[in-house]
Amino acid sequence: MDKISIPIGPQHPLLKEPLSMMVDISGEKVLGGSLRLGYVHRGIERLAQQRTYVQNIHLIERICGICSHVHTTTYCYAVEALLGIEIPPRAQYIRALMCELERIHSHLLWLGILAKHIGLDTIFMHTWHDREMVLDIMEEVSGGRVSHAANQIGGVRFDLDAEHDKMIRKILIKLHSQVEGLLDVIETEPAAMARTKGVAPISPDLIKAYGVVGPVARASGVDVDMRRDAPLPPYDQLEVKVITHKDGDAWARTFVRVEETRVSLNLCETIIREMPRGDVVVRTPRRIPAGEVIIRSEAPRGELFYYLRSDGSDKPARLKVRTPTLAALSLLPVQLSEINVADIPVVLAGVDLCIACADR
Amino acid sequence: MYKINKRFTLLFAVIDAMIKPPETVKYPFASLELPEGFRGAIVFDPDKCIGCGLCVRDCPAEALQINKKSREEYTLLHYPARCAYCGQCEDSCRHGAISHSNKLVGSTTNKDEWVIVLKEEKGEK
Amino acid sequence: MIRSLFNLLVFPGFMFLVLSGLIFEWLDRKFLARFQRRVGPPWYQPLADLIKLFSKEDLLPKNANDLLATLLPLISLSSVLTAGLYVPIAGYTPFSFEGDLIVIIFLMSVPTLAYYLAGIISLGIYSILGGGRSLLQFFAYEIPLLIALSGPAILGGSWSVSSIMESQGRLGPFIIFQPLGFILAIVGLIGKLKRDPFDIPKATSEVVGGSLTEFSGAKLGFWNLVMDIQAVVGIFLLIDLYFGWTKMGYPILSIVIFVIECLILILILSGTSAIFARLRIDQLAGLGWRILVPLALLQIGFVILMGV
Repeated sequence: MDKISIPIGPQHPLLKEPLSMMVDISGEKVLGGSLRLGYVHRGIERLAQQRTYVQNIHLIERICGICSHVHTTTYCYAVEALLGIEIPPRAQYIRALMCELERIHSHLLWLGILAKHIGLDTIFMHTWHDREMVLDIMEEVSGGRVSHAANQIGGVRFDLDAEHDKMIRKILIKLHSQVEGLLDVIETEPAAMARTKGVAPISPDLIKAYGVVGPVARASGVDVDMRRDAPLPPYDQLEVKVITHKDGDAWARTFVRVEETRVSLNLCETIIREMPRGDVVVRTPRRIPAGEVIIRSEAPRGELFYYLRSDGSDKPARLKVRTPTLAALSLLPVQLSEINVADIPVVLAGVDLCIACADR
Repeated sequence: MYKINKRFTLLFAVIDAMIKPPETVKYPFASLELPEGFRGAIVFDPDKCIGCGLCVRDCPAEALQINKKSREEYTLLHYPARCAYCGQCEDSCRHGAISHSNKLVGSTTNKDEWVIVLKEEKGEK
Repeated sequence: MIRSLFNLLVFPGFMFLVLSGLIFEWLDRKFLARFQRRVGPPWYQPLADLIKLFSKEDLLPKNANDLLATLLPLISLSSVLTAGLYVPIAGYTPFSFEGDLIVIIFLMSVPTLAYYLAGIISLGIYSILGGGRSLLQFFAYEIPLLIALSGPAILGGSWSVSSIMESQGRLGPFIIFQPLGFILAIVGLIGKLKRDPFDIPKATSEVVGGSLTEFSGAKLGFWNLVMDIQAVVGIFLLIDLYFGWTKMGYPILSIVIFVIECLILILILSGTSAIFARLRIDQLAGLGWRILVPLALLQIGFVILMGV
């Protein structure tokens, strides 16, 4: 059969956000593909130069819907580093708690999407139901399910009291048993394993050549995690277990993410147990002294990189954001070279696309 | 989920889901409860506002606008369609004049509701 | 004459089959929703969908063959309706003759081939891919299904469904003698109906709608009706061949038992849809030829030995 090109177009049931791919297939084999980005480009970095530092917190939050909190956290840490202040310990712990909760709900969302693409709708519904429990916590604590607006420069905007503690602990216990069940399913369900084992393996050399980070890299054996390598406070006082796997295929990526959910659940319990008392905010001036700073942190999809330069006024001079999905997307045409047509959803889902992050 | 045998986890989860009541609600015909801290529509207390304009300066979406003729004569406008419901105005105001309730903002085709006049101070002494 | 017309149009003909098809679709969606902790659609949802589809605009790509695109769903609909006429319902069958099992199986294969043709003439990339896959799948599940369905015929000693049912009345329900055949028949039915785990031709993630991507309006409404009625006729056939002991003396009792068996079978179909993921086409072909066909031959050998 000759070669035909199917468009996995800007709109496709596979994609959460618009992305344009042309995939060349012949029969049931995929020969290659090419990629076009830019459908969600909003010019965030240029807009950030026209708004004050305080207004930018809310702009940065809207780069991505799933990893919104870690973006604002990194930005606030960057501004506080330029100011040369340190925020109270309780604020650091609350920021870390929201980051870990966000990681849990992002991985649960991802597992649902993968299950839906391989035809297992039941797991999709069940994981998104578990995700609702995490979103309930966020709504009670911060006032919004997806747009938390939790940070301000100098600390966080809310405090946790005893009732919040009790509710969070109860929900975390329930989530533990659900995640154990999910681990059982992906390890024993025959059709799901047949669809993901051995599909599109990536070697560690390819990972290092393309600069891929996050769970995709950890699933191929490359041991990199910003929470341990370049820790923002309070991660330097918490012990983070980094999960790696050596196969590098789609099943390894699933395994790494579900295990990371379990690690995050344990981290949340540790954070709540060890949370210090005190204020949650310090007052900061409006004008930021001149300087430049680089902050890295661990988003659910990998390493997040912020560069901020200030010239002494109340608007930033340059803000540069490098998101983890961009590196993983560059590996996508290589991954599409030797698989079946039926494996395209599994490969796409394994990358965990967040095009809004990649396009900014 | 019962763990008699790992292979049957999904089967037991499915039977379990069948026995218990469903988790979704038939939304327009059933009520939805929002927590107290939910950032919904804006409520304004005109007596506390002094017209300083800090909320206007800090709003990221330019949803608040102040037309200031003098210190005692100003009008404060709010555009609910531009508002991002982030709560920055509530944090910036030092007198507690503006805050969020937990009511949802509905859509409307009535043009008069696009702009809400929060306070109109004439400055009569 | 009037009685024949009644049988043709109302029971067990057109109206009864269409109504059962809609009820089947509602029960299937409701069971699936409850397995996934959702509320599920109300009872009038499939009827509402059908009415909505008939009121929508009917578009096709410019060079597609409009005549064939209109004829294919209508031909499929008439084949499944005709097949439904010969399947006894709770023991009542007005038209039956020797060899009607073969006619039923043949008529039930017409929609599969029509599905493939509909994909080819639609001239869209996704339709051609989906159509090709449906033909590949046809070869994988049809042979085990045919072999499994001939088991009751051999045991019952005739190719007429009502005679098979009468011999079950003497010997007992055939599921006791051929449980393996029953399981194989269910697996084959899932493949024929293109449901999870064998819904490769309709896989939304890969080929957006399969063969029917470009269809809309009344044609799509007819296709949905064909799928539902095909499911219903398949379920009735399976019940008659494996559970069909009739002439219990009380017609009300046999109707009640028939309905209960239908519900159990729909529950089994929805349950397997909920639990398993979708297989790849090469995995399905491997499953069909390496596992299902030898098991089916084993079952037939057993039946022949027993008959002797």
